Amino acid sequence: MSDLRTMQLQLAEAMLAGSLPAQGSLRGDDKANEASRLAVYQQGYRIRLREALATEFPGLALLAGRRFLPLLDDYVTAQPSTHFTIRWHGEGLARFLEHASPWCEQPELGEMAQLDWAISTAFDAADHDTVNAGDLVGVAPEAWAGLRLHPLPHARLLRCSCNIDAFRRAADRGGPRPRLRRWRQARHLLVWRPALDVHYRQVASGELAPLRGALDGDTFAHLCERLAERHGTAALPRMAALLAQWLDEGLIGRLTLPGEAAM
Amino acid sequence: MPSSRQLPYLGFGLGLRVDHYESLIDEPGKVEWLEIVSENYLVPGGRPLRWLERFRERFPLVMHGVSMSIGGTDPLDMGYLGQLAALAKRVEPAWISDHLCWTGVQGVNLHDLMPLPYTEEALRHVVDRVRRVQDTLGRRILLENVSSYISFAQSQLTEWEFLAAVAERADCLILLDINNVHVSAHNHGFSALDYLDGLPAARVQQFHLAGHEHGGELLIDTHDAPVVDAVWHLYVEAVRRFGRVSTMIERDDHIPPLAELLAELEHARALADALMQQAA
Repeated sequence: MSDLRTMQLQLAEAMLAGSLPAQGSLRGDDKANEASRLAVYQQGYRIRLREALATEFPGLALLAGRRFLPLLDDYVTAQPSTHFTIRWHGEGLARFLEHASPWCEQPELGEMAQLDWAISTAFDAADHDTVNAGDLVGVAPEAWAGLRLHPLPHARLLRCSCNIDAFRRAADRGGPRPRLRRWRQARHLLVWRPALDVHYRQVASGELAPLRGALDGDTFAHLCERLAERHGTAALPRMAALLAQWLDEGLIGRLTLPGEAAM
Repeated sequence: MPSSRQLPYLGFGLGLRVDHYESLIDEPGKVEWLEIVSENYLVPGGRPLRWLERFRERFPLVMHGVSMSIGGTDPLDMGYLGQLAALAKRVEPAWISDHLCWTGVQGVNLHDLMPLPYTEEALRHVVDRVRRVQDTLGRRILLENVSSYISFAQSQLTEWEFLAAVAERADCLILLDINNVHVSAHNHGFSALDYLDGLPAARVQQFHLAGHEHGGELLIDTHDAPVVDAVWHLYVEAVRRFGRVSTMIERDDHIPPLAELLAELEHARALADALMQQAA
């Protein structure tokens, strides 16, 4: 191993551990000793990651309140950054909160981190055209059963046990901290970006099954079958209403027919 | 002073920051060019790339990165370089720059501009990597001097000897951050003028001007404050030695209204113009 690599490994280890590298490798002087010089980097590492994560997780900051900084410190200590873009260190935060004590005792923290991260990644996801009602005019009546409605590739469906969307909304508007409300039954949030602005909303209970189906690439006939399990003969008009809503919201990125390329 | 530069002279510019997007489009003042932070636009789509397109139509752009880790000992990140090359194709920048530093090791990114030991071994290592990066990108790059707080017992060269040798041997150019020279000169007790005197003038392609903070006995390069008098004095000395060099104000934090940076930029222009008139 080269001297240069050895130095870099020792210095990186010292930076992450808050210690000093091998004695004599760094110079100190009357102005500042080795430890206080290295401390500039050690503190800078944590400050930079904290600031970057705070920018990406405004909902979590509002929800966690005074525990936000200790939470970030725990994460930064447990998981060194591995991506060249600092914001991407946020990719693992939700998973960390779901599994690491004591944060895992409050599932709303992990859920909130998931929503913040879905919004963050949708913000600069690849641009896509969206399908409109006019695009469906050319679909032959007999082809509808095999039609597939593909939501935008970056669209995310998130499960939540409390009103995390209210926290994100309040954070974006600079409003007061909402009261935390836990749902008796889990609900779902949909995150997507039809043009340049990221949207998110709660998914109605009757919409969940067909939306999951669409995300899984099911055919239109299958989406209707999923709805029929709940709505019986009203499934078809209900599906028509959902389709109109999805098109209006700019959620559908492309259509495919059996044996055909995407329209 | 060198009579010509190897890349175009762009005049006086600013580092592009989100806070100034609207005002730079509406009232750009005398801003002649913009430097983008490359990593902010290494994204698949969305609003950042839309804004970038608008600025590209309006200003000459240069790309400034923080992740090349040219002094690192992990393999060069070819994925990163590929993204950088793709962005350059889109932006058509006048040049691409990064820092003479390392930013991580063994896959861990420290998100800081870590200084190198100024040794023959490090010099050979950096020169080889600069050549390979330049081959990959198909163009010469600029390397910027970083502010530093630590130095290494095994260093055999001064920082400016090291920077000059990298530029000469690898045939790359220099982005001289005047504030960083001042900060490091204070922190390590060397002469900032010796630093300027030791650089190959024809390779100095760009100046950064920025502010810093006091952190105890050390100066901390925060780039979050106005340029101080000592840095303006050093800027004059740099113009005296290197002539007309594309110059910009780089503010990374505590972003003030655009007018405040335009005033700093005008001051830089006035200092340089006065000196160039004297020399004419």
